[in-house]
Amino acid sequence: MDIFSKPKFFTNNTKGENAELLVELNSEYRDRRKDAVKRVIANMTVGKDVSGLFPQVVKNMQTEDLEMKKLVYLYLMNYAKSNPDLVILAVNTFVKDTDHVNPLIRALAIRTMGCIRVDKILDHLCEPLRKCLQDDNPYVRKTAALCVAKLWDLDQERAIDNGFVTTLQDLVSDSTPMVVANAVIALAEMQESSVNKDVFVVNVAIMNKMLAALNECNEWGQIAILTSLAEYQPLDSKEAESVCERVVPRLQHANGSVVLSAIRVLMIFLRYLRNDEFTNGLIKKMSPPLVSLLASAPEVQYVSLRNINLILQKRPDILQNDVRVFFCKYNDPPYVKREKLEIIIRLCNDKNVDQILSELKEYASEVDVDFVRRAIRAIGRCAIIIEEASERCVNVLLDLINTKINYVVQEAIIVIKDIFRKYPQRYEAIIPTLCQNLDSLDEPEAKGSLIWIVGEYAERIENADELIENFLETFLEENSQVQLQLLTATVKLFLKKPSQSQEIVHRVLQTATQEIDNPDTRDRAYVYWRLLSTDPQAAKAVVLSEKPPISVDSSADKLSPGLLDELINNISTLASVYHKPASTFMGNKAFSADAVRKAAVADARDEEQIMGEDTVTSPTAPAASAPKNVMADLLDLDFGSSEPVSTPVMSPPTSNSKSGPNYSADLFDMSSDMSSGGSDAFGGMGGMSGMSGVGGLNIGFQQSQSQSQNQNTATSGSSNAFGDLAGFGGFGQQPSAATASQQTQQQKPTQSSTVNDLLDLF
Amino acid sequence: MIESLFVLSPTGKVIIEKHWHELIPRRVVDFFNDQVSKAMAEGEDVTREDVLPIIASPKYQLINVYRDGLTYLSPVTKEVDPMMVFEFLHRIPDIMQEYFGQVSETVIKENFVTVYQLLEEMMDDGFPLTTEPNSLKEIVPAPNILNKVITTMGATTSVSTRKMPNGMSNLPWRKAGVKYNSNEIFFDIVEEIDAIVDSTGKAVSCEAHGTIQTNSRLSGMPDLTLSFVNPRLVDDCSFHQSVRFNKWESDKVLSFVPPDGHFRLMSYRVNLPSQQNLPIQVKPSINIGANGAKFDITVSLRNTDGKAVENVVLTLPLHKSTSTLTAQCNVGQYMFDPVGKVLRWDVGKIVPRERAPVLSGSFGFGSASSEAAANAGYNIGVEFLINSHSLSGLKVDVLKLFNESYKPYKGVRTMTKAGRYQVRA
Repeated sequence: MDIFSKPKFFTNNTKGENAELLVELNSEYRDRRKDAVKRVIANMTVGKDVSGLFPQVVKNMQTEDLEMKKLVYLYLMNYAKSNPDLVILAVNTFVKDTDHVNPLIRALAIRTMGCIRVDKILDHLCEPLRKCLQDDNPYVRKTAALCVAKLWDLDQERAIDNGFVTTLQDLVSDSTPMVVANAVIALAEMQESSVNKDVFVVNVAIMNKMLAALNECNEWGQIAILTSLAEYQPLDSKEAESVCERVVPRLQHANGSVVLSAIRVLMIFLRYLRNDEFTNGLIKKMSPPLVSLLASAPEVQYVSLRNINLILQKRPDILQNDVRVFFCKYNDPPYVKREKLEIIIRLCNDKNVDQILSELKEYASEVDVDFVRRAIRAIGRCAIIIEEASERCVNVLLDLINTKINYVVQEAIIVIKDIFRKYPQRYEAIIPTLCQNLDSLDEPEAKGSLIWIVGEYAERIENADELIENFLETFLEENSQVQLQLLTATVKLFLKKPSQSQEIVHRVLQTATQEIDNPDTRDRAYVYWRLLSTDPQAAKAVVLSEKPPISVDSSADKLSPGLLDELINNISTLASVYHKPASTFMGNKAFSADAVRKAAVADARDEEQIMGEDTVTSPTAPAASAPKNVMADLLDLDFGSSEPVSTPVMSPPTSNSKSGPNYSADLFDMSSDMSSGGSDAFGGMGGMSGMSGVGGLNIGFQQSQSQSQNQNTATSGSSNAFGDLAGFGGFGQQPSAATASQQTQQQKPTQSSTVNDLLDLF
Repeated sequence: MIESLFVLSPTGKVIIEKHWHELIPRRVVDFFNDQVSKAMAEGEDVTREDVLPIIASPKYQLINVYRDGLTYLSPVTKEVDPMMVFEFLHRIPDIMQEYFGQVSETVIKENFVTVYQLLEEMMDDGFPLTTEPNSLKEIVPAPNILNKVITTMGATTSVSTRKMPNGMSNLPWRKAGVKYNSNEIFFDIVEEIDAIVDSTGKAVSCEAHGTIQTNSRLSGMPDLTLSFVNPRLVDDCSFHQSVRFNKWESDKVLSFVPPDGHFRLMSYRVNLPSQQNLPIQVKPSINIGANGAKFDITVSLRNTDGKAVENVVLTLPLHKSTSTLTAQCNVGQYMFDPVGKVLRWDVGKIVPRERAPVLSGSFGFGSASSEAAANAGYNIGVEFLINSHSLSGLKVDVLKLFNESYKPYKGVRTMTKAGRYQVRA
């Protein structure tokens, strides 16, 4: 090989190359050996097997050439695992190097020894490590500090027995900031995997040492120190203030991770602050750095936006005047746009709503269909949050409907349905416009929404019966969501305009009970039939009862206070990006169920007891989705089936109220997006009504009535009631609940004949 | 803990991999590539940039950064600060840029061993170690002609002649014993304007992101103080490690001992009011019919202090169903990319009081035209550059030097350019 030409690190013939390298590695010329080692490293990096050259490479370790030494070290770290016996050959050189006059070499040797994750080397590691931890040179001490964590990872006992843990704890008081920082990094890492969690407990003394080092160490050290500071519990408001004051300058760092870590400390310490003036000042200081993060790379923006979302839920007063910076650029990646949209809605208030509306309207004309739909939904949310703006929102939605773009029209109708629910009797004038688009609707949710509107306002719509007839033509082919909606709308129509629709309602109920196999639809038809035939007045009271208004606070994107606090503690982690506790997406399943319980605790203690015991052993996803189905079967409630299972995974007990945030057509037009933190007052009631299903249809009817009373008084109660019921049924914990559903099934045939008889009566 | 790194080529092949802790098997890359192609198959408009930066796999969280065609993938098994991972992953191409002048698959392969050594020095057991370019260059020599000559001639680069790593000096960012014959320091103040402008020329959102890039060639341990005429304009800022934060808080001056060579002294952000006079006005008018549209776009100068605006380029992405386009312009040249459906107008330089550049013409929708095409909104991306101009108005006042006796040559340049600047039609 011509040594003057550029070394070629890549050749195809591996076998021949290894043989050639073998010769080169034994060459008497140092440069040829070095080139050969470089080629070995190059091959190793692309995944070629060069482990066979181990002895020859290691021979080159004893050299005064730093680069050569580093290259051999690199090789050693990679292959030590597969050749542990040979590593011992290298040990002597390593140990000698930890005594070298040059601190750079001492540090390099101890660093590399720690990275060779082989048990045999541990015997030889302890003595040099002890020396390096006491080295005069801070660079060596800093490297040795991390080495303790490496040893700990392989053999905790050995680390403790040799006193390294204590030495490391002493290094937190080192005079050099970067040594302190590395000691903190190592201790925090060890604490995580320690059994007694006593390796690194942040007390006042440690906190002060860390604060002293904070300004002087490098950015990565600052992140570690800030992360550990967040663990500290201040004694009082005064102490919390003084920590905040020391942390605030970190908000001015160019590294986004330092900024977010500082934000985490501040958000946690805000809880301890009793001085309002100080608190307000602090909150003012947090906005600008958060805004600045949005000028970074899209990935950094994404993490920032997910965290800002959390921060805003906790402290809505942050970023109040900064909504403009969240406006989307047309070429933002979709994942950034989605998150910006969420933030825009959170920042919407009566002062900026006009600005936001015109912005959202702009988005609705973009080409990304998913984003357009989200923008339209956002308009609906604006209308619901800000009453004064609802009319403007409706006008924007009408403009959008007039574009005749199919998916825009359908989404707008879904949104308008929610606006109708929030502001009943206010915007009926637009119904004719909506009905003009009847034929273009092909999505179940949009169809269902329009049908709901027609049923709800049947008395105001002259040709309501014709419209319903029109929909009924395809009744049997419809998605069950639409079928249920049609069923309810027809009954409403009948109750409001009995003369026009007796024939229709009869036909619908007959079709639904006889030709439809879906138990949800069929059973609901039975209930209606029975209700209408026994007591039409009661039917009116139930079906046309006043519905609870929907509110934004209850929608699925609002986290429960317990989970929110946990996530605030974890700002700038993966948990804060997913908005889920880390254990639900990392580690094994048993842990995840555990965390689900934990998250649920703060939310609904009563329900948790029923759910939680079962969830521990069952895998998360089924546990979360089961209640939904069971509940639907028992109580004829259908929730938006299109909802992803992942949402309820977060906290199953509330999954029933979370599962249908957008729309759910249910027996009593009950809004399923009731506030998730509802009262437990009706918990017992719900349990009772669930049990009453055993009694068959008669009791079943009373149950519905009692349910509807719940409805009228406090909606959240019934939501919890279903939760309880689901808890019973879902896991067969209560045998009676299981039999209840069985019995109901068995009684079906008789029921239908009675119902038929009864219907003739009226 | 950042356990491993895979750098992937544009086709998803592993160019280089590095494991700082336990070895993570390569099949994770196959899973990742599958997820990426799945995401990109979801729609015809979905590009690689649109793929989520954090992807969950059964065992790992796949944290990835996509830059200049290369993917920097870091699978993690434990809870981690994703912001830190992103910051670190971005550092890798930054450093490679410093070392090799460019970053590409070929460059990495040509400098394989250097890259590998860098990755080793940048991380210890999953924790970032040395990421300052100045410090790294002392530990891992950059490939330059001198180095090449030394290695090829067989001269020894012996350990004893090598300087201590600067991580051991009192100021980690500055090495001791720097000496120049002529002492000079240059500041480049570059402001990038991020703006969304509506069709009437009003700024929907507008902010200036400024950076002060510094090139310091000063001997010894100079202690500098840089002050501004109007520092209170700044809404938010971040500094190089060397800047004494307390001085900024109390006196609004930058007091620092600079690193040697190039570094970013300060980044700042100035929120500009919606009434802000933007330097350039783009007036688009697009009249859309059922089968196509007529358009004309006028560019005029406003508020540039009499300075010329250079490198003006307008890009107008058209609807996917656009099939034909005809246009003419009085200045510069235009180009229509029929595949990407993008109209690009290279205006060039606009001098004040010359006639305003106009591009007008029409485009037609193909057979697949629909309501969506007729109602689609249009956005024009604008690029431009103005020398010796600062839109925010931030001005350097004076630079003082302490601790050294020489009088350095000082230079300040300002420049305003378009960042993410778009006009809605």
